[in-house]
Amino acid sequence: MITINAYLGVDIGSISTKAVIIDEENNIIASDYIWTKANPIHAVKTLIENLEKQIQNKDIKIKGIGTTGSARKLIGVMLNANVVKNEITAHAIGTLSLHPDVRTIFEIGGQDSKIILIEDGIVVDYAMNTLCAAGTGAFLSSQAQRLGMNVEDFGPIALTSKNPTKIAARCTVFAESDLVHKAQMGYKKEDIIAGLCQSVVNNYLNNVGKGKKIISPIIFQGGVSKNIGVKKAFEQEVGENVIVDENGHLMGALGVAILSKSTPLKSEFTFKIMEADFDTKGIECKGCSNHCEIICVRKNQKLIDSWGNRCNKGALK
Amino acid sequence: MKNIKIGIPKALLYFKYKELWHLFFQKLGCQIIISSDTNKEILENGIKFSPDEACMALKIYMGHIHFLQNKCDYILVPRLACLKKDEILCTNFSALYDLIKNTFPTNIIHYNVDVKHNKTEEMAFIKMGKTLGFSKKESQLAYYYAKSRADLNKIKMLDEQKKLLQQKNLKILLAGHPYNLYDQFIGEPIQKLLKENNITLIFSDIYEENDLNEQVKTITKTNYWTYNKEIIAAIVQYEKHIDGIILLTSFPCGPDSLSNEMILRKIKIPIINLILDEADSNTGLITRIESFIDILEERRKRNEERTND
Repeated sequence: MITINAYLGVDIGSISTKAVIIDEENNIIASDYIWTKANPIHAVKTLIENLEKQIQNKDIKIKGIGTTGSARKLIGVMLNANVVKNEITAHAIGTLSLHPDVRTIFEIGGQDSKIILIEDGIVVDYAMNTLCAAGTGAFLSSQAQRLGMNVEDFGPIALTSKNPTKIAARCTVFAESDLVHKAQMGYKKEDIIAGLCQSVVNNYLNNVGKGKKIISPIIFQGGVSKNIGVKKAFEQEVGENVIVDENGHLMGALGVAILSKSTPLKSEFTFKIMEADFDTKGIECKGCSNHCEIICVRKNQKLIDSWGNRCNKGALK
Repeated sequence: MKNIKIGIPKALLYFKYKELWHLFFQKLGCQIIISSDTNKEILENGIKFSPDEACMALKIYMGHIHFLQNKCDYILVPRLACLKKDEILCTNFSALYDLIKNTFPTNIIHYNVDVKHNKTEEMAFIKMGKTLGFSKKESQLAYYYAKSRADLNKIKMLDEQKKLLQQKNLKILLAGHPYNLYDQFIGEPIQKLLKENNITLIFSDIYEENDLNEQVKTITKTNYWTYNKEIIAAIVQYEKHIDGIILLTSFPCGPDSLSNEMILRKIKIPIINLILDEADSNTGLITRIESFIDILEERRKRNEERTND
């Protein structure tokens, strides 16, 4: 059996954790996707176990590891990654590997939303939601709960609406009270759901998309892209075809895996690493009145890294 | 000789006038006490004593006044309304004196500049000296001394910054009010992050004063905020010599919200606007800055490839 050189990419978001293993030609050999459940360390362990099962019949050597997403630093230390990259660059590189002609990436995740503008295969501009999480996946999930439904059913139901209800879209708090009000007035459920999908789109375009020139091809990613109602609402609002890739959720992981290919690995990776016991501990530095919260990462009870200190007084390592 | 202790809050206008103030009071033989760098305690006290609508920079200032209480004879709180005819400053700077006086039971020494009403800086400093018991002559000499030295220092800093423009690595202009750029809580963490990424930093408060109005007009014809005009002029001056601009604002800043919009529309090189508030987490900030640096690096690589072809 020939040994395949492979690269592992892990994208640890607030809601879900995604990972891929690719070969030298960027083909996805294994991939998986699970909920983070506010425990990134555990999520990554489970995920890597799943990946190991997928490749157990092949002779694969991991030559590079990349991490991205909001827990990229923590997991980067844990996996001894050679690349730790922000999610904007990672998503752009992942998407470009499959859609080299893409000009605009819409991304709506669990907690945040982004827009990435690409010209000639490089990122030229981007925006992220700043002070407000309105119109993200978390908002849709909580509204689904309020309506007593599964958020997964939102898309197909929204498509059946002929007359979407207008829902105030500027702010989640107002959108929510507006939604309750409309429900009590007797609007149909499908109309309200279609209205919600539209409000997500309006909010996105008025917030992160404000002042940005949206040029097709447009690719829509992140958990919310699985909602066909939101996709349709985007197409209506922008007046262009919006592409949702079935592997759209893996783009960040794919991007860092590709990035890790061009950087040599610091030390050998074996799947055994997952047997080690990792934990984190937050301590408050008493060095000055800043009271920095320092995060310590420990492997088998031994401190391997720490961060969060503003100055050297809080340096533990 | 009387030994007067003057407390100077290390916030807001300090970063603009520190040389002038230092040298003036030093020349008069006063002792100067500067509040410490902004820390969490100062910020928290500032929030406690500020109106809800105050911007983060003003909240920090209030914290510094709280810090200086009982540590000096007077705290310096200037009132700046108008520095140039047909221009104004943010109302916070004209309200500062009254705001502090009505919030803290402390001795304030102030000076009042309002050019529109013929109150110049020189007159203001003489009057301030008089309050402290110095003669007109003494104060005037101290002011001339301080002013000329401070101006010389500005020229020196400009020369040094111009040299930095020759550097080969990525250069980013950090644009914004000095009290944002240099504050330990607002600008400092950003500066640190950029330096760790091997970026040469250019600052918008160091700029050429000639042709300022002409330069501002290329971006906006209607801006009448003196400090914002300075930021815009700096951006115009450096635009062609740098790779990108980070526009730093503290939330919620009225003048910035208008002038930033014009800057973002007119500037052709990569630019991001970072708006900081008192929220503690900087995770989003790091992601933004890192991806901005990635963009600049990719652009440069692409441009080099093109020139080689």
